[in-house]
Amino acid sequence: MNILEIKKLYKDFGGLRALNDLSLTIGQGQIFGLIGPNGAGKSTAFNCIAGVYAPTGGEIFFNGHKINGEKPWNLCKKGLARTFQIVKPFATKSVLYNVMVGSFAKTGSRSVAEGKAIEILEYLHFAEQKETRAGNLTIADRKRLEIARALATEPKLLLLDEVMAGLRPSEVDEMVAIIKNLRNRGITIFVIEHIMRAIMALSDHVVVLHFGRKIAEGSPQQVASDEKVIKAYLGDEYVVSGS
Amino acid sequence: MTHQTINKTACILAGIIALGLPLVIRSATYLHILVVLYFYAYLTTSWNLVGGFAGVLPLGHAAFVGIGAYASTVLYLQYGISPWIGMIVGGILATFVGILIGLPTFKMRGAYFALATIAFGEGIRVMIENIDRLGPFVLNGPRGLQIPPRNLGLANFLFAGKEPYYYIILLMLAAVLILTYSISRSKLGYYLNAGGEEPEAAMALGVNVARAKLFAMAMSSFLTALAGTFYAQFTLYIHPKSVVSLDLSFEIAFIALIGGRGSIAGPVLGALLLRPVSDFSRIYFGDTLPGLHLVIFGVVLILVMIYQPRGLQEPLTRIYSNLVDWLAGRKAGEVQA
Repeated sequence: MNILEIKKLYKDFGGLRALNDLSLTIGQGQIFGLIGPNGAGKSTAFNCIAGVYAPTGGEIFFNGHKINGEKPWNLCKKGLARTFQIVKPFATKSVLYNVMVGSFAKTGSRSVAEGKAIEILEYLHFAEQKETRAGNLTIADRKRLEIARALATEPKLLLLDEVMAGLRPSEVDEMVAIIKNLRNRGITIFVIEHIMRAIMALSDHVVVLHFGRKIAEGSPQQVASDEKVIKAYLGDEYVVSGS
Repeated sequence: MTHQTINKTACILAGIIALGLPLVIRSATYLHILVVLYFYAYLTTSWNLVGGFAGVLPLGHAAFVGIGAYASTVLYLQYGISPWIGMIVGGILATFVGILIGLPTFKMRGAYFALATIAFGEGIRVMIENIDRLGPFVLNGPRGLQIPPRNLGLANFLFAGKEPYYYIILLMLAAVLILTYSISRSKLGYYLNAGGEEPEAAMALGVNVARAKLFAMAMSSFLTALAGTFYAQFTLYIHPKSVVSLDLSFEIAFIALIGGRGSIAGPVLGALLLRPVSDFSRIYFGDTLPGLHLVIFGVVLILVMIYQPRGLQEPLTRIYSNLVDWLAGRKAGEVQA
């Protein structure tokens, strides 16, 4: 069963077409990568899926149900969670408080929410910092907090928007391990990433966007050797032609 | 002794002192000052549900005080309905108005929201000032309404001395504090705080931010209106400038900002610190410099915002928890959130 299916998605901002005829299918349990140069429309695609923007055209199916124009909070309750490229912690509150906001999505009880939040913090090796003010965290820990909060809502599909940007190489490795581990928990993962090393190590399947269009798709190795992809990233002169 | 027992003892002690004060203070003036102090602490705590937890700055709460005061007074004067029932009617009316104001304004952020609430509050004041009769209801425009001090008794919410008023407002204050405390620890409290700080992130985590804010606004306007009825029964004379004025809205916000918005102790501390300033500046400078207290508030507000942006409750809470740690015989631990 496909957990997410996008058919001919369009999104216009005024005269700018940010997404142009994007179709993709994500199967249950996959780690699905979305890459592309800056401004390709990756975050716009996420925002359409997560209900922040209503698409101009096309259809989005989540678990077989059409979710075009659904509100973000309803999508979250249905099992679709996301992180933000620019992290948005509740800065004056503790780490535990931040995660509990997420776990309240599935319960009304404070003690249940707290238990769930602590369990997730322990799972992410983050429990020692539960009383730290979120505003005082390092960038790596803020990214981890984004994931912890999203996990607390018990998602089936998790959208990760550049959770590795700004991390040191050792932290990237740690994050790759965390994400792989999440998949083993049964969560399908849809990830936007710029760090090719991470995308190569993680993804089962990669889609490449360029100016809102899908220009390539396949396994990470296939995509990385695709001429159109290299052209999009580096420019025409770097393509080694077939001659 | 554990921290919990110390906290409990402190609460009980504060309660006993509050209950016993009228036995010690025989002067009607001082008792009056205390009643007004509790009245403001109550108002600010009600305001705090929206202005503190939901992270917006409403500056039109006097409108709800006015609605409560006018609703119960009109019903009492014209139809002989007990102000206790009028209190609830006023509360329900204010809830509706609060939701009506909240629906369009909660889409705005920062200063725009504050300005919009000022506009609504002032609009309601100007309306009351210019309406002598609203259908069958006599509002008396700018002249206001007077409650004759006849038929005293609990049923009519009219008393000869100040003591009954003192205990009624104390009870109301205690109730609203307990309510605020339980909300701050509930799902609603978490959702309000989250939606106030980072609405987009909150929405992605399943928070319907607009609905949470509206719910808080409904509760806040209901509770604020109850205080309006209390004020009418206490002073026996209401007019638009006294119960629907911008000054009142500002004073509530001042107390909250200086005390520390979003905390439970903040509004009470703010009222404890600022009301005496207001009262004594009125007593001593009322003739020469009316409105001096608002100037003093302004200066205090600037100083507090510079040195303690989260309000005076923060350093005071720290001192208190250090004291508790010391009493509990432990080393000073983490400052509680």
